[in-house]
Amino acid sequence: MNYPFWDVPHIGSGWVIGIIAIFHVMISHFAVGGGFYLVLAERKALRENRQDWLEILRGHSKFFLILTGVFGAASGVGIWFAIGLAHPEATSTLIHNFVFGWAIEWVFFIVELTTAAVYYYTYGRVSNELHLKVGWLYAAASLLTLVIINGILTFMLTPGQAWLNHALSGREADFFWQAFFNPTYWPSLVLRTLVCVSLAGIWALVTCSRLDGETHGNLKTELVRWSSKWLIPSFFLMPFVMVWYLLSVPETQRELLKLGISTIGSGAFTQVTRVGLVIIMASATIVLVVYFLAWRSPKDFTFSHAVSVLLLGLVATGAGEYTRETLRKPYVVGQHMYSNGVRVKWVEKYNKEGYLKHSPWVRQDPSLPPAMAVGEAMFRGQCMSCHTRDAYRSMERLLAGRNRESIGNVLKILHENGEPYRRYMPPLVGTAEEIKALGDYLAAMVAPKTNAAPAALAARP
Amino acid sequence: MASLYGWLDERLGLEELLEFARHKTVPVHKHTFWYYWGGISLFFFIVQLFTGVLLLVYYRPGPEAYDSVRQITYDINFGWLIRSTHSWAANLMLVAIFVHMFSVFFMKAYRKPREFGWWSGLVLLLMTMLFGFSGYLLPMDELAYFATKIGLEMPEKIPWIGPKIASLLRGGLEVNEFTVQRFFALHVVILPLAFLPLLGFHLWLVQKHGNAVPPSEEAKPVEQRRTMPFFPNFLAKDLAMWLIALNVLAVLAALFPWQLGEQADPTKAPPPGIHPEWYFMSMFYVLELFQGTWGLAVSMGIFTLGLVLWTLIPFYDPDSRNGKRARQATWFGLVVVLILTATTILGYWGVYGKGH
Repeated sequence: MNYPFWDVPHIGSGWVIGIIAIFHVMISHFAVGGGFYLVLAERKALRENRQDWLEILRGHSKFFLILTGVFGAASGVGIWFAIGLAHPEATSTLIHNFVFGWAIEWVFFIVELTTAAVYYYTYGRVSNELHLKVGWLYAAASLLTLVIINGILTFMLTPGQAWLNHALSGREADFFWQAFFNPTYWPSLVLRTLVCVSLAGIWALVTCSRLDGETHGNLKTELVRWSSKWLIPSFFLMPFVMVWYLLSVPETQRELLKLGISTIGSGAFTQVTRVGLVIIMASATIVLVVYFLAWRSPKDFTFSHAVSVLLLGLVATGAGEYTRETLRKPYVVGQHMYSNGVRVKWVEKYNKEGYLKHSPWVRQDPSLPPAMAVGEAMFRGQCMSCHTRDAYRSMERLLAGRNRESIGNVLKILHENGEPYRRYMPPLVGTAEEIKALGDYLAAMVAPKTNAAPAALAARP
Repeated sequence: MASLYGWLDERLGLEELLEFARHKTVPVHKHTFWYYWGGISLFFFIVQLFTGVLLLVYYRPGPEAYDSVRQITYDINFGWLIRSTHSWAANLMLVAIFVHMFSVFFMKAYRKPREFGWWSGLVLLLMTMLFGFSGYLLPMDELAYFATKIGLEMPEKIPWIGPKIASLLRGGLEVNEFTVQRFFALHVVILPLAFLPLLGFHLWLVQKHGNAVPPSEEAKPVEQRRTMPFFPNFLAKDLAMWLIALNVLAVLAALFPWQLGEQADPTKAPPPGIHPEWYFMSMFYVLELFQGTWGLAVSMGIFTLGLVLWTLIPFYDPDSRNGKRARQATWFGLVVVLILTATTILGYWGVYGKGH
């Protein structure tokens, strides 16, 4: 059952999810780590009777409430809208398996939102003890949202053999816990918790940087240094946890990291490896930049410095999310559903009976000749989950210069065997006629460009 | 450790250096951010030296140029990364130098006694552009070949001496392996030999005169101006900026590896969208705009006059006492930024926007 396809020109629907997700992770992970930051900082300030700290923390909690409650919540809901549109098949699979997981997550989410508001609005209005308790309640609820959603996110990479054995049996939901505590669950939870702790420190540095170093020199020094310390756990543990995470990923997926070496040339890595290296580099830089800019001269730590650190955090987070998503290729749900929505177990059936026959929602364009309409529908259904026509992973660019025969050969490789493509790309499914129609359509799509090129060249002065 | 330091100090006078560095201060104000750009330019130059030397190990100028770059990109371990880093850092170095130059201009840091800093900086910029131009051809792929061909049409259009200069650079009538060898010599020997001493002079002048403060800061009484010690405060921040610059470079080099096109074939038609690098685009556009002999004279005149005025600005606006001239100089700078930006955008629109 293939749903209608959501065509987002230029960037593709994947990047719509990606952009919202990267923005969301920057805030949602702060929402988790920041809760612990607030209560631990408040507890320290109360013990040492530091009114000046409490005043800053109150301001920080307001910033925290607005950022997480408004932008974090809105972008979180935005992700579900986006994945529902971009990948209805995968979203449907998740809902069918984890509907109670989501229900639990929303309970924690509501507690989280409520306690964040109560925490800010009761600052100085209730007893210190009670205020701290509200803070702890917030921190626990926000951590539990991560505990739940982590199970659903990691499921998509490693659903676990128990669940896979019963996939498409109608009894998948019976294996909720096996799917939830899947092979990458724990390393991912620890990894994300470390990111949460780091982001708590990074966002707190943004607040601290607003303090005037001239008039509040000592206070700024203390706060900047205390916030910087929140990066230390990541600095020591992140490399080990990353290795643990990678070792939990199935060998077939881990192979993607090495794919470039065997196919392109020595030391020429795939996109996913290169982006993976960016995570390591950006993470290490964050720690060093915080050391040089914040720890070494806290009084001179300015807002623009803090924003630079935040942008580096964005690079590291964005690269992390990209790598995690790409490691799943060619699946959207590991070993079960390919990234274009075709289930692994249905490939043979589609090849025999036809892809479009089983895709009632992929509408054929009535304005095109029938054979071309079949090709266009095949293109939308099977290629456009990952490719755009002319921009991101552009088909026009990738197929440029190829004639009909050469395009046919590419499709044949994708349909039949296709190493190394098949390690990265789903198989092309459908009957011989459907694949021929797709070839004709792609050739027609690419041809005007190749013919036009010499004309354009001739016109150049 | 202490004894090693003592041993070195006795011979090299490290303590004197540190003492000097401790006395050096950097002004702190709302425009301090712009002070980092000279350092960032220097950082990218150091990257260029380092990666350039590594590329030199495998690069073979002449008829084998393309093959050797293909080997670097596809066969040699991490060759693609070194080549990408070299190409991206070249572009980023020019971006940093432009930002540095305009920030120096608008902060009026060309005024007495910093005129030689301004002039040496301008020559360094022009030499960096030449570095870019000469390096671009070295892979000898289609894009490099045709872009260089177009690039060499620019000096060719200068009356009388133009064709001679172009022919000297090309090593003949056509761009071929002799051109590659000339460009290679220019890129790795002649330009570095001229660049390094001038860079030393430029840095010495910066050291000698210190950072200039912008007019808004100059207007304040001395006791209200803030400074920070150069060592270790500013140096630590400088290093942090270098790390950020390194990250930008790493992201670009890793995610968008520099491509190697088809081997250059002079008998084939040029691929679509051939144009010089972005830092020559403005000039390219103006030259395309005015056709014919008179047009050529106009466009060359505009650029020559602009460059002369830009160079002579320290004589026009020599100190802070003449507010009117200072304002006019600022307007002049804004017009230059506007013209360069607009002509560059129009140049790209001309190449890509007309359905080419």
